[in-house]
Amino acid sequence: MRPRLSFEWLHACSGCEIALLNSGELLLGLLERVEIVHFPLLMDHKYTNRADGEGELNLPEAEIGLVSGGVASEEHLAVLRAMRARCRTLVSLGTCATHGGIPALRNQWPIATALKTVYAGPEEGTPIPDTVLASLDRVYSIDEQVPVDVSLPGCPPRPESIIELLEALLAEESFHLPCKSVCETCPTIRTGKGQQKVRRFLANAEYDPEKTVAEMRCLLEQGLLCMGPVTAGGCGGKDAPLCIRARVPCRGCYGPVRQGGNQLLDMLNALASNGMGHRDIVDRRSLLRFSGAHGLLKPLRERK
Amino acid sequence: MNSQPKIIAFCCNWCSYAAADLAGISRLQYPGSIRIIRVMCSGMVHPEMVLHALNKGADGVMIIGCPLGECHYIKGNEMALARAEVIADTLEDQGFDSERFQVAWVSSAEPERLAEIFREMSARLAVLRGTPQVEAVIGD
Amino acid sequence: MNQVISIHPVTRIEGHARIDIHLDESGQVCDARVGIAALRGFEQFVVGRPAEEIPRIVNRICGICPWMHHLAAVKAIDGCFGVTPAPAGHLLRELCQVLAHIHDKILHFFFLAAPDFVLGPAGDYAVRNIMGLVRQEPELAAQVVRMRQLAQMMLERFAGKAIHPVAGVVGGFAKPMREEERQGLLADSRILLDFASSALDYAKNRVFSRFCDGLQSLGTITTGFLGTVDHQGALRLYDGQLRLMRPDGTTVDFPANEYERYLAEQVEPWSSAKMVYARSWGEGFSLDPNAPRGVYRVNTLARINVCDRIATPRAQAELEAFREQFGRPAQGTLLYHWARLIELVYACERTLELLADDRITDPAVRIPATPRAGRGIGHVEAPRGTLIHDYSTDDNGCITRANLIVGTTHNIAPMNLSVRQAAASLISAGEVDDEMLNRIEMAVRAYDP
Repeated sequence: MRPRLSFEWLHACSGCEIALLNSGELLLGLLERVEIVHFPLLMDHKYTNRADGEGELNLPEAEIGLVSGGVASEEHLAVLRAMRARCRTLVSLGTCATHGGIPALRNQWPIATALKTVYAGPEEGTPIPDTVLASLDRVYSIDEQVPVDVSLPGCPPRPESIIELLEALLAEESFHLPCKSVCETCPTIRTGKGQQKVRRFLANAEYDPEKTVAEMRCLLEQGLLCMGPVTAGGCGGKDAPLCIRARVPCRGCYGPVRQGGNQLLDMLNALASNGMGHRDIVDRRSLLRFSGAHGLLKPLRERK
Repeated sequence: MNSQPKIIAFCCNWCSYAAADLAGISRLQYPGSIRIIRVMCSGMVHPEMVLHALNKGADGVMIIGCPLGECHYIKGNEMALARAEVIADTLEDQGFDSERFQVAWVSSAEPERLAEIFREMSARLAVLRGTPQVEAVIGD
Repeated sequence: MNQVISIHPVTRIEGHARIDIHLDESGQVCDARVGIAALRGFEQFVVGRPAEEIPRIVNRICGICPWMHHLAAVKAIDGCFGVTPAPAGHLLRELCQVLAHIHDKILHFFFLAAPDFVLGPAGDYAVRNIMGLVRQEPELAAQVVRMRQLAQMMLERFAGKAIHPVAGVVGGFAKPMREEERQGLLADSRILLDFASSALDYAKNRVFSRFCDGLQSLGTITTGFLGTVDHQGALRLYDGQLRLMRPDGTTVDFPANEYERYLAEQVEPWSSAKMVYARSWGEGFSLDPNAPRGVYRVNTLARINVCDRIATPRAQAELEAFREQFGRPAQGTLLYHWARLIELVYACERTLELLADDRITDPAVRIPATPRAGRGIGHVEAPRGTLIHDYSTDDNGCITRANLIVGTTHNIAPMNLSVRQAAASLISAGEVDDEMLNRIEMAVRAYDP
């Protein structure tokens, strides 16, 4: 019997699923060796018997379950728990699942405030739709709600990494992301002494477009905020990180280097320790834009 | 139950720790609930250590290093100052009153000043204790 | 006996949805609703952020069409800061935008929609999907997978990231195109264009020919349409005037920054997705299936209905043939699939046109911007429909307010009408089977929500 794979997506954008499809022929090869038993994007397996709209979630058993997206509603929680119960190995796929991701930015505000902003109508007191009222108090990562066996961060994860992970699981081998921080594979020129002021990204970095990335000066040393030092590496495989290839600084989309790390504290600390202007940063809380779960982003208290 | 605020004080080996030793020998009085942790330089205290202490229940955290210009490692205390700014800026974000963190510069020959600083911090935190408790952040 | 039949989740769509069909005592359909239960709250959490960071945040609204949100936001922020991008910046942005349309359309037609047509709407669900297509037509499937991957890799090779892009920046683009990159992209674009033409031929022979009746009737309703055209009334995906068409075919053109005069948002308690209706028609909004008011559609069928012509030759020929057969405007909901493939041909031809423009390798790709208070409205045609990003900034250049109308939002009301129509035409006397339910889902899938 071929191993069974089950996919679900919660508070997600579908980028991780598209990344999987971007692996192209690698995926076709994998498909011959597995059986996909549930995958709402691609196949018509449903949650419930149609006769009775409610009832238990009818998720099939599977050897490997992949779940993308954070947890933000009662329904997400129910689907996640069902996946944990039916899948032997549960993978949290993508930064939303592992650390909350961009949607966890909402944690900076109480849920009631966010709802009011989104549904603000021309008249006072536009009603909030009933369906939305089943929101949880904040956006959670998957591991805050159920035990997780494997985490693969990334926004999105690299297609090759998803395939490698699946291959490793099928062979019952362990899988690790190839490198610690983004800087590890970044080929830019670092002299150890750079700009002291940190400026906003309102003009392009300095580089010669006819030359390679390896001949460009490190963006952080150029005075641009680059979160490479505090972000898990691997987005470009063994080659230059993807945003650096676009000549654009890193914003930390793979989450912290360590599982429990705090990208805001780490980044400010890195700047301060190197004599760079950590107070130049406008909107420092967005340093947690990818890792706002685990209680790291929360509404500011009223100061008495 | 200990009624005094629990304070973690990171003290640099070359100055404030030495001052604390001297304070002990001189029988200077300061609250017994101050927990001193010796570090080789105030500059090695990562902001996460401060946050960790607060999350685990410390009422306050202090970093006490050598006066600027007198660092045993030349510039370690400058780094401590920069890092202390980071902590001060972000403490409110994390849900803690800014009074719960203090950085100070004390030389090894100033035991009375050290004791005074400890007493003042303890008194400040005792006042804060009367205010609603801040919820600790899950995990670290 | 009153009954509710639920389809949950709706599958082979690019998001989360459910369909609830209400039957009355005699088993007739008395209501049907498409529920989309996703609320992220982007309009809240962009507030307070430096505006130039927004394009890298709002791209995460959607992992299938992130370039659309990325570029609509970039255009809006240009407006907030009062900066006119360098010409090469515009060309590079449009190039990436139409390239992004290509992978999206291949994904939707072959991976999501085609299984219903090629493998049959009544097939076993375990077979009626892309995996089944791979088994039944391995060569076609392999080619489809390769072409889709090619389009994505072209974006990644040039712009760093294909999914959740970062290269669109206020004032232009983050990096210029080198001549060597351009030649490589030209060669790949020709391959894509050939594939697009053969995909449309395949669809006409193997797909549309087998479903002639269904193409005109399943989920078909009568609505207006909204799309984008250039100054000569030709289809344009990146920029231009918005054109709103009434059901009778009459049109009005307006710039995106006047959208609030023509369109209005409506909140219904049973839908977490807001709805939009044509305020300027002066008839209000109603989802009554016998007398809908204010309802218009967006997305592929709408765009080819509102445009007078398409400015690239192969797509124009296909449009003429389509109009001869179905008229203008064409209302058949399943015709969205046909229109999607015509647009695929246009996107490939437009890619070649842009790459052939010598200005595209100009190294001056970005004008530096200065933060300031302002308001900017940026729009593009996303695969899913007209996308509008509206931002206001304070003196520090940080966002104070945001309003986003995403492509699918315009289609929420029409989707509900189509599902109601499909359910009512298929279900009677309370008898329901899996094939009927799948056909009802097909009425939703055509909209590619």
